Amino acid sequence: MLQGLAEELRRVLRPDSVIDDPVRLRTYECDGLTVHRARPGLVVLPEAAEEVAAVVRACVARGVPYVARGSGTGLSGGALPRTDGVLVVTSRMRRILEIDLDDQRAVVEPGVINLDVSKAVRPDGYHYAPDPSSQQICSIGGNVAENSGGAHCLKYGFTANHVLACEIVTPEGEIVTLDDGPGYDLLGAFVGAEGTLGITTKVTVRLTRNPEVVQTLLAAFSSIEQAGEAVSAIIGAGIVPAAIEMMDALAIEAAEAAVACGYPENAGAVLIVELDGPEPEVAHQFAQVKALCLDAFEQRVARDDADRALIWKGRKSAFAAVGRISPAYIVQDGVVPRTSLPRVLASIDRLSRESGVKVANVFHAGDGNLHPLVLFDDAEEGAEERAEGVSGAILDLCITHGGSITGEHGVGVDKARYMPRMFTDADLDTMQLLRCALDPAGLCNPGKVFPTPRLCGEIPRVRRGEPEGELY
Amino acid sequence: MSASRPGGPGDEVLGVRPVRVERPETVEEAAEALRRAHAEGLTVVPRGNGTRLHWGGVPRSCDVLLDTRSLDRVVEHAAGDLVVTVEAGVPLARLAEVLSPAGQQLALDSPVEATVGGALATASAGPRRLLYGTPRDLLIGVTVVRADGAIVKSGGKVVKNVAGYDLGKLYTGSFGTLGLIVRASFRLHPVPAQHAYVTVSGREPLKAVLALLHSPLVPSAIELDGDASGSEVVALFEGSAAQARAAEAVRLLGGDARVGEEPAWWGAYPEGEVLVELRAKPSELPDVLSVGGVRVRGSAGSGVWFLAVPASEAAELVVRLRARWTAIVRHAPVALHDELDLWGPSSTLALTRRVKDQFDPGHRLSPGRFIGGV
Amino acid sequence: MSEATPDAGAGAPTGDDPFGALLDDCVHCGFCLPTCPTYVLWGEEMDSPRGRIHLMAQHHEGTPLTPEMAGHFDACLGCLACVSSCPSGVQYDKLIDHTRAEVEREHPRTVPERALRAAIFALFPYPRRLRAVRGPLRLYQASGLGRVVQPVLARLSPSLAAMERLAPPLGRARRLPERIGARGERRAAVGMLTGCVQREFFPQVNSATARVLALEGCDVLVPKGQGCCGALSLHSGRTEEAKAFARATIEAFERVDAIVVNSAGCGSAMKEYAALFADEPAWAARAAALSGRTRDFSEFLSELGPRARRHPVEVTAAYHDACHLAHGQGIRSQPRELLRGVPGLDLREVADPDVCCGSAGTYNLLQPEAADALGERKAIQVGATEAELLIAANPGCTAQIASALARRGTEIAVAHPAQVLDASLRGLGATPLLSHPDQIARTTMR
Repeated sequence: MLQGLAEELRRVLRPDSVIDDPVRLRTYECDGLTVHRARPGLVVLPEAAEEVAAVVRACVARGVPYVARGSGTGLSGGALPRTDGVLVVTSRMRRILEIDLDDQRAVVEPGVINLDVSKAVRPDGYHYAPDPSSQQICSIGGNVAENSGGAHCLKYGFTANHVLACEIVTPEGEIVTLDDGPGYDLLGAFVGAEGTLGITTKVTVRLTRNPEVVQTLLAAFSSIEQAGEAVSAIIGAGIVPAAIEMMDALAIEAAEAAVACGYPENAGAVLIVELDGPEPEVAHQFAQVKALCLDAFEQRVARDDADRALIWKGRKSAFAAVGRISPAYIVQDGVVPRTSLPRVLASIDRLSRESGVKVANVFHAGDGNLHPLVLFDDAEEGAEERAEGVSGAILDLCITHGGSITGEHGVGVDKARYMPRMFTDADLDTMQLLRCALDPAGLCNPGKVFPTPRLCGEIPRVRRGEPEGELY
Repeated sequence: MSASRPGGPGDEVLGVRPVRVERPETVEEAAEALRRAHAEGLTVVPRGNGTRLHWGGVPRSCDVLLDTRSLDRVVEHAAGDLVVTVEAGVPLARLAEVLSPAGQQLALDSPVEATVGGALATASAGPRRLLYGTPRDLLIGVTVVRADGAIVKSGGKVVKNVAGYDLGKLYTGSFGTLGLIVRASFRLHPVPAQHAYVTVSGREPLKAVLALLHSPLVPSAIELDGDASGSEVVALFEGSAAQARAAEAVRLLGGDARVGEEPAWWGAYPEGEVLVELRAKPSELPDVLSVGGVRVRGSAGSGVWFLAVPASEAAELVVRLRARWTAIVRHAPVALHDELDLWGPSSTLALTRRVKDQFDPGHRLSPGRFIGGV
Repeated sequence: MSEATPDAGAGAPTGDDPFGALLDDCVHCGFCLPTCPTYVLWGEEMDSPRGRIHLMAQHHEGTPLTPEMAGHFDACLGCLACVSSCPSGVQYDKLIDHTRAEVEREHPRTVPERALRAAIFALFPYPRRLRAVRGPLRLYQASGLGRVVQPVLARLSPSLAAMERLAPPLGRARRLPERIGARGERRAAVGMLTGCVQREFFPQVNSATARVLALEGCDVLVPKGQGCCGALSLHSGRTEEAKAFARATIEAFERVDAIVVNSAGCGSAMKEYAALFADEPAWAARAAALSGRTRDFSEFLSELGPRARRHPVEVTAAYHDACHLAHGQGIRSQPRELLRGVPGLDLREVADPDVCCGSAGTYNLLQPEAADALGERKAIQVGATEAELLIAANPGCTAQIASALARRGTEIAVAHPAQVLDASLRGLGATPLLSHPDQIARTTMR
């Protein structure tokens, strides 16, 4: 069915940029979230905005849905392909086009890897602030789609706060630049729209001056409650650390097994508190932080950058490291108001005990963003359903406490069904007004974010059902 | 109870007198007012404290002036979470009073008499935009009443949240053309223990600006006031050791750099018949200063400038500015509106129109206030 | 939600499907992608470790091994950078070795492919045959007759020629004595593997290794009966051939306390013997013992600790991590420490040290385009260090990078860490490392 499209696209793109071999196509069947899989009908690897636009126009002309994908590290199935559609992979659009230090910005293609931006400007004393745990491989285009955060977004904000302009291919195949010019803030709405409003082809990012000093404290507590109290005390003292991260015993065990990060033994929880900025500020506040972590049975201050990297390595590899202690797991991404953390953690603990499903907790404590890792053995009958149950109950907890179902991983296909627990039909319909404005045909990454697609006024069509990814 | 009265003198929006003025006291009353207007096919223009009511275009029609000033409750200040939720009519000054006992602030420099809703609708920010960003960066959740009267929200009251489209950013700066902002949640910041201003003047302001930007001293603001013949650059440092950092900045800048007071012009728009907002790259400062022979004031670190221009020179200058940059005429005598084309060209005008068509198909909300007659 | 469930327990690995269990370790996080050379080159999922594991899983689940699939496995350099970068502990080394063997069994290769492979494996593991081609090669290079000789030699000759240019003139190479006595008080007695390519093309590396070991107080034994360790075969899916070489190597080195290996690929393979023979009771213990005694040159010296006096070697040098050293054996800091211990040596780091140079055993022979592109990348990064001397612990890497630099018109001297240590211990300074005309790749490879 897509054969004609493949042939057409081979005339527009380099022939080896169009993949239609079934075995190859299957390697693109999922992103970082493997529970949803769908073999794309076609994969294309464009190398320029004009090529992306040509692909989109060809799709629109034939009424074929299309999905954009960067490095394929997303954790909500946002880049889950359509079996009847085209997957537009930006991994070959990876040039850093311009670095302008005086204006503190860089212009990059969407396939550029997040960390590579920082590497490129490191000799000049700059970096790109958003630092998702997958920064060594996730792409800037993907970051834009997901409005990625990272450990340091507590102080520095999210992708949306660091993107100055985006060149996009609109769902109708036009190349348009969104920036801070007059008109609605479409840039602000586009960042974080999970690829449903168009495909990013060029991004102007803000570069951030490296801090004069960085101080990192690893504090080990005997219980997660004590660690939680320390977090509240730090924030209550009017300190905005660059990051406050927490890991519980199970997560520590996994990280230790994976990367030998050398966290203190027998800790019920560790906190990583990082302060950065001008030397006198950091010196003053770091002393305060150490005093506020008095309940910690061990405090370790990173001696140098290498030591700091090791402390962070444990945290950043925690998700994948859990693979070492459990055959399978579900990563959640709920958010609660920071002050509700102790109550929510206690409830998660109760859920875990009552269901017999183990939960490892890794989270951005400073902004209340939880990453419970719900462990299960996929070989065991019913284990996944039980884990799903616990996972859903955790999201309910987040919503009851006034939080959110996702802090940074996005809704994608995975959490679309939870959206009605957080928003009314009218809320969701209103969001989709924007989608109707940009993608009236509903071909751009359909089936993501919203549980029920809205009918766009002028184009009558049947309501699309759930995306057709087969569940494993 | 929602107050409703006929429009009278003093109620005009850029000379257009509303037929009726509604002043709802609750979100539900506001929604009711919009539902009625929807049913009757009436045009609606929201207003707050009127700080920037003279910004933007002349409304094509104003059947109902919707005064938000009685939507004035601070709904929730979750101090431990550094989050506040307020209704749209709360003036920034009152919000500051509520937050200050907890040692917190909404880090948004806007005239203090402005309402929260007004500050959002006009996306106005001041000097500290360099460090804290603009309203879009501080807003974490918003409730609006749609053109048809439905009360809808996006975002939430946690600082980190990517569930659903971030419509808050879309409403911010939309001049009341997409819906009536009735409630907003913001992330807050601690009030710093110290403030210190460093002033340097001279003919090479860009050197000073770049020195500060490339330094690790993290100024909260780098403002400039002046013209091609000379200017004053003032940087603000905030924190528990702001004075030490200011002293360091003085050493770094050399020349006549000194620790000083907040200048009188800090955060104020230059006064003139026509106010133009110019967006340029920070490094283009020398060109900005020499472009029009007029006084320039603004955020040198972010490249956002305000130029006060005599009406007689405005048209010519605006054309020159737009040849290179984004230049928005913030306010001008109504007689000049057509000639000046307040908003200037936009690469996304078609998309802006399509968004408007979806959110307000009857074009009844603030018609004509925004770009392209939207 | 709150229903009580029977104690599930941690998922015990299923014994009946060990390969499936290895595949299951991958959680699809993608952390391996940026260090995978072919992903870096082509940006395609199927040419990344994550994609290849996905292909392996497809095959494991019953999809026949298609030519496309085989092509993606063949394109893997086996550099194992993905093993280093994997937070989930996926044993890609085992996965790819198993898969390569599967490809050799199931995938019908074309006649020219078969001929090329046969030629490679008939030549490289045999030092004497290697020596025999050295003379003709030179002639082949000089006369320009190469274009008319058979295609297999044409494919092999550039790589051989690249090594040939780095090798000392023919005839001067002398076989190492069987025993070299320790200088000063004896601290250890070690066996030394002389290798195939190392022995024939880089005999100066072997003599430097022996001298440094002796100067550091080791009795060095060079067993006469040693041959190829089997690395090339092992890393190309030719398991039975590899085992034959391995058995001979085990026998040759059974009587020494430690075996010092100066070629990264060989050391890595010898450390894999334990796994290779795990299922053969007759050899399992002997193989494990040999793996346990195998040490890379720098690893061994780092454990032994420095004793001999280091004299200055004034040189700006870039150190390149050979994949089979860094990823295969986890040896990164030891060679750097060793080199930093040399007074006057200014050690520079090369960008993206995790990414392979493209040499990768037989890779540059079998996948020349990809190998050239990777060599090019590496050459640019090495060039950026502005080093005069490139140091690497694998003969293939040095030849590969020096050739790529030469193609770009840049000359660089190359050396093994042993040669640098040798120059330092003997007080020769930098001159011998920089001046040997044959050590500088001058001509372009084609």
